[in-house]
Amino acid sequence: MDPDALAKAFVEHYYRTFDTSRPGLGNLYQEGSMLTFEGAKTQGAQAIVAKLTSLPFQQCQHNVSTVDCQPSGPAGGMLVFVSGSLQLAGEQHPLKFSQMFHLMPTPQGSFYVLNDIFRLNYA
Amino acid sequence: MNPDTLAMAFVGLYYETFDKSRADLGSLYRQGSMLTFEGVKKKGVEAIVAKLTSLPFQQCQHNVSTIDCQPSGAGGILVFVSGSLQLPGEQYPLKFSEMFHLLGIPQGSFYVLNDIFRLNYA
Repeated sequence: MDPDALAKAFVEHYYRTFDTSRPGLGNLYQEGSMLTFEGAKTQGAQAIVAKLTSLPFQQCQHNVSTVDCQPSGPAGGMLVFVSGSLQLAGEQHPLKFSQMFHLMPTPQGSFYVLNDIFRLNYA
Repeated sequence: MNPDTLAMAFVGLYYETFDKSRADLGSLYRQGSMLTFEGVKKKGVEAIVAKLTSLPFQQCQHNVSTIDCQPSGAGGILVFVSGSLQLPGEQYPLKFSEMFHLLGIPQGSFYVLNDIFRLNYA
């Protein structure tokens, strides 16, 4: 599959899961995965899902503006760089965000998130 | 060296070079390096430096707001930066986000294998 198409497909799947079934994100991380969310570092699928499901909002909607990707080296990894906005229920204005994922291939032919860094883009 | 310290040092060096001596950025990339600048893809030192030195502004100043880093596996470091870019004559700085994937070289330094830059529009 074309890398750009793969990146887009992953990004759509990730945010759809986040927005509709957040605990389901656990399938996308593994034990060695790392998340830095607004500067807070977490490691491992369990801790990461605990962090994401405990964020101070129940509902949200991610709207993606840009997706850039590049291969990360001989191990077959892919870097995906996203910018977009995050609409929280009850908030008048959406929050802008940037996020980068480092995806690594799984033996089953899929990808998991090894690295994940999220930052809000304040005005 | 602590990865966070390393990331900070690299980011400081990168933007100082960009802002003062843009052509010298070539020393931070290698033949396999990739840059995606506002969606435009370039590969290799020459093409990357050509792209960066041909941007439509002579002077600029990067001001970094946040730096996050994580090991990327296989000895690399991922660095995620957000900040603002002041161009001369412009009243307001532009907001940007940029990610670097750094790989180690034998002399104990790093080069940029992957570089993705995006402006953050209001």
